Amino acid sequence: MALLRDAVPRLGATRGDPDESVEQILARGTDRLFSCDSPLGKVYVGVTEKGVRLVGKAASPEGFARRYRERFDRLLSWGTDEWTRRLAERLAAALAGKKVEVPADLSETTPFQRRVLEVVKGIPRGEVRPYAWVAREAGSPKASRAVGSVMANNPVPLLVPCHRVVRNDGTTGNYAFGAGEKVGLLEGEGVPVEELAGSLYLATPTTGIFCHATCRNARRIKPVNRRRFRSANAATNAGFRPCKVCRPAVAG
Amino acid sequence: MDTELNGANGMRSGDPLARRLAEGDPGAPGAMVERHHAELYRYARALLRDTPAAEDAVQEAFERAFAALGKYPEERIAALSLRPWMYRIVLNVVRNAWRDGRREVSVAETPEEAEERFEMAPGSTPGADTDAWLDALDAMDRLSERQRVAVALRYLEDLPYAGISEATGWPENTCKTLVRRGIGRLGALLSEGSDAKNGNGGS
Repeated sequence: MALLRDAVPRLGATRGDPDESVEQILARGTDRLFSCDSPLGKVYVGVTEKGVRLVGKAASPEGFARRYRERFDRLLSWGTDEWTRRLAERLAAALAGKKVEVPADLSETTPFQRRVLEVVKGIPRGEVRPYAWVAREAGSPKASRAVGSVMANNPVPLLVPCHRVVRNDGTTGNYAFGAGEKVGLLEGEGVPVEELAGSLYLATPTTGIFCHATCRNARRIKPVNRRRFRSANAATNAGFRPCKVCRPAVAG
Repeated sequence: MDTELNGANGMRSGDPLARRLAEGDPGAPGAMVERHHAELYRYARALLRDTPAAEDAVQEAFERAFAALGKYPEERIAALSLRPWMYRIVLNVVRNAWRDGRREVSVAETPEEAEERFEMAPGSTPGADTDAWLDALDAMDRLSERQRVAVALRYLEDLPYAGISEATGWPENTCKTLVRRGIGRLGALLSEGSDAKNGNGGS
């Protein structure tokens, strides 16, 4: 039997590059992890072959990986592969405010959650929208509350900018990382947070149109012409029509 | 080789790597592949006698293992004996390959083709011990499935009987019997083979 054992290790030489095998096995069997600077400080990011699946803060990579495992039943390994490196670069650019498309893996979410997250992903930097608007845009106008819980469980904060969704009265509301962080993020993006509270809508008599106060069209209105409104309904009752760019939601 | 592991006949007494996996260490899956890949490959290679199939089997085994680890509760992962557990998963995958490939076995490569492949492998010297090694593997192919698995785990992988039992699910005493009978039969097959080569006939 000694013969059998001695001869066997030589067979090991017939297989390919061991590093490559390890990499291939990890790529197929685990999801990948990297950390990244963000406006919230250091965040951990879990990715699949489809895109970014979870973004979050944690005291340690182990803590983040355990949370990931509980949520998705998958192990995380350090993303040493080319795909993860590219995603990390793109995400870093996007978080720094550049217009870069970063794929997200939302396969574990319900169709409603996905519609809501897609709508929120489209809110531009420097602008905010109320929960009711997101609900309407996602095709479920009565689901403001449900939008709130989708935001609270958003697996990919910052990438899907749930911090840009505010209460219907214009106050900023809560945030998974703390209400203070939300205000800080919005101010960092140039949103006049204090001005918005209580007057989320702006109208101008020159055109007879009203907008979300952070809409690019609203920001061009001269200070003398600015008419502030608490709600979209108050603006329509005063004879203004909704802007076609930011489409304020008027309750039926 | 894996002295740190082989020294641990107390495989049950908590593998540090299992604890790292349980804690979520993102370096642990890679360390696990690096630590077990070669031996699992060798094992699959001995059972399947086919290089690409063995590579696939090991890949699939790791994939299954990681999928399972993603679902296990933390305490269960920490208590795992990774080595026998991995051998067991490889065995399951290999059994599937045997079942799926049964019809193809008749058209599989001839021993001559297999020998050529070995000789082309870097680092291998063609010659007497290659022949002897192939004879031994050929003979192993003729053992019963259970004997072959038990002999491979005991003599190729140096697993203690407790480990073989864990890797197969068979009682420890059954494993001992299988190994003893397997070795006996292997010896008989090999001497029969060399008799035949020396022109002494013997069917």
